[in-house]
Amino acid sequence: MTDFGWYPVFLKEMLHFRRKLLKLGYLFSAMVVPIVYLIAFGFGLGVSVRIDGTSYLAFLIPGLVAMSSMNNSYTWVSSTLNLSRLYFKTFQVYVQAPIAPSSILTGEVLAGMVKGLFASALIIIVGLLSAPDFRITFLFGVALLLNCFLFANLGVVVGMLTKSHEDTATYSNFFIMPMAFFAGTFFPVDKMPIFVKLAIYALPLTHTNILIRKNGMDAEAWVSLGILIFYAALFFVCGSKLIRGYNE
Amino acid sequence: MIELYGLTRIYKNVRGSIRAVDGLSLTIGDGEVFGLLGPNGAGKTTVIKMMTTLSRPDAGRCWVDGFDVVREPGKIRERIGVVPQENNLERELTARENLKIYAMLHRVEDANARIEENLRRVDLWERRDSVVAGFSGGMQRRLLLARALLSEPSILFLDEPSIGLDPQIRRQLWDSIRKTRIEGRTVVITTHYIEEAEALCDRVGILCRGKLIALDSPDNLKRSVGQYIVEFIDAEGRLVQHIHRDRNEAHADAAGEQNGSVTVRKTNLEDVFIKMAGERIE
Repeated sequence: MTDFGWYPVFLKEMLHFRRKLLKLGYLFSAMVVPIVYLIAFGFGLGVSVRIDGTSYLAFLIPGLVAMSSMNNSYTWVSSTLNLSRLYFKTFQVYVQAPIAPSSILTGEVLAGMVKGLFASALIIIVGLLSAPDFRITFLFGVALLLNCFLFANLGVVVGMLTKSHEDTATYSNFFIMPMAFFAGTFFPVDKMPIFVKLAIYALPLTHTNILIRKNGMDAEAWVSLGILIFYAALFFVCGSKLIRGYNE
Repeated sequence: MIELYGLTRIYKNVRGSIRAVDGLSLTIGDGEVFGLLGPNGAGKTTVIKMMTTLSRPDAGRCWVDGFDVVREPGKIRERIGVVPQENNLERELTARENLKIYAMLHRVEDANARIEENLRRVDLWERRDSVVAGFSGGMQRRLLLARALLSEPSILFLDEPSIGLDPQIRRQLWDSIRKTRIEGRTVVITTHYIEEAEALCDRVGILCRGKLIALDSPDNLKRSVGQYIVEFIDAEGRLVQHIHRDRNEAHADAAGEQNGSVTVRKTNLEDVFIKMAGERIE
């Protein structure tokens, strides 16, 4: 088994990504949703709102970064795996190669993380230009990396489980999209009714949103970090198991 | 060498289960070009998938170069090259990028030289930096063959290698396959083209509904059912065929028929299949 078997898997995704970047519409489509939210909520609704003593824009931008990194990491990996497994059959080339199943997982997850980080970088640039009190802290970086890793692994799980490309959209509509809205991206969740709050605190993105806005570690940050690591490990183990058990 | 013993694969669906491969036992020798022949749905691709570690058998055992497909899949993957039935090239990447990724996955030494050698072998060197999506069906099949040979596998699996190709391109592909045979490789081909099996294979296994119904060289198989066939259309418009072991016997039979459209020809593997399975290869 190759030690660096993950690299060709990663390289292939990067070659695809480079080609996408060269297409004019791609950058625009990657930015359009967060920019719409930024204009609608940040520059529109948020002008007259302050949260915890900071501007709404400074509150919103980390949330948009978390949301966008989740969407891009998850969608890239789940779609790639689903399509390559069921339609293009290119996944079979990996399975028939002398590389470890964990190499396939690692390559796909790293590619998903790059995609998530790229989309996040676009929003961070807009944030730095438009919100003077928006800061990037060490915890911001940790939360962002962990979020990309976690949702890329979830993408592997969904990409391996789905039986058609339509299924991927169904998972996204029932899990990813509600999480984007209710997990603290646009408003603090601590004022929500208790039963809703319990459900919201079970979602991984909630804890990314908590961690990404912290300036330093406190009890809440440790709990959120622990929960994120738990989810990341869970999805990693499930993804590894699904790839290892691949059988046509 | 490839050894199959009682190999079985069952697919389950809502209506029950289908035995796609049912107790298949055979041995393929080193350096042999072996063909699995049968109609669509006979189980040929499923057999290839099990031999190439893509599917796990539900029963029975399979050893490729002495390694068990279930217990030692990694060892087998180091030794095989596969041309699948469905084109699984990266369509948005160039020919060279496709081979580069494959070379890295298989740890091919001196990869650039090997890539050039294999692209030249299939006459695609001039198109090395073209995106695969722009290739014709024949070019894509040739690129699949170049990719499968890149790691210099000791065993080459070709699943319906010339499906969808026009006759001229098909013959070019056969020439490429014959070249790999000269290099001493074991080649396993699935096909439902009779002439492909006859043109390329040392021995042929005929599959019908997952079961092996005949196994021998094409000549021996034809000899076993009779080498000559008398054909004519009867008064109700049906094709009637009489198989004869002897040429004179066949001509005597033809002479005795009152029908004006009687023909005498040599038998082929489809006639063997019809005789043994009672149906045509489609």
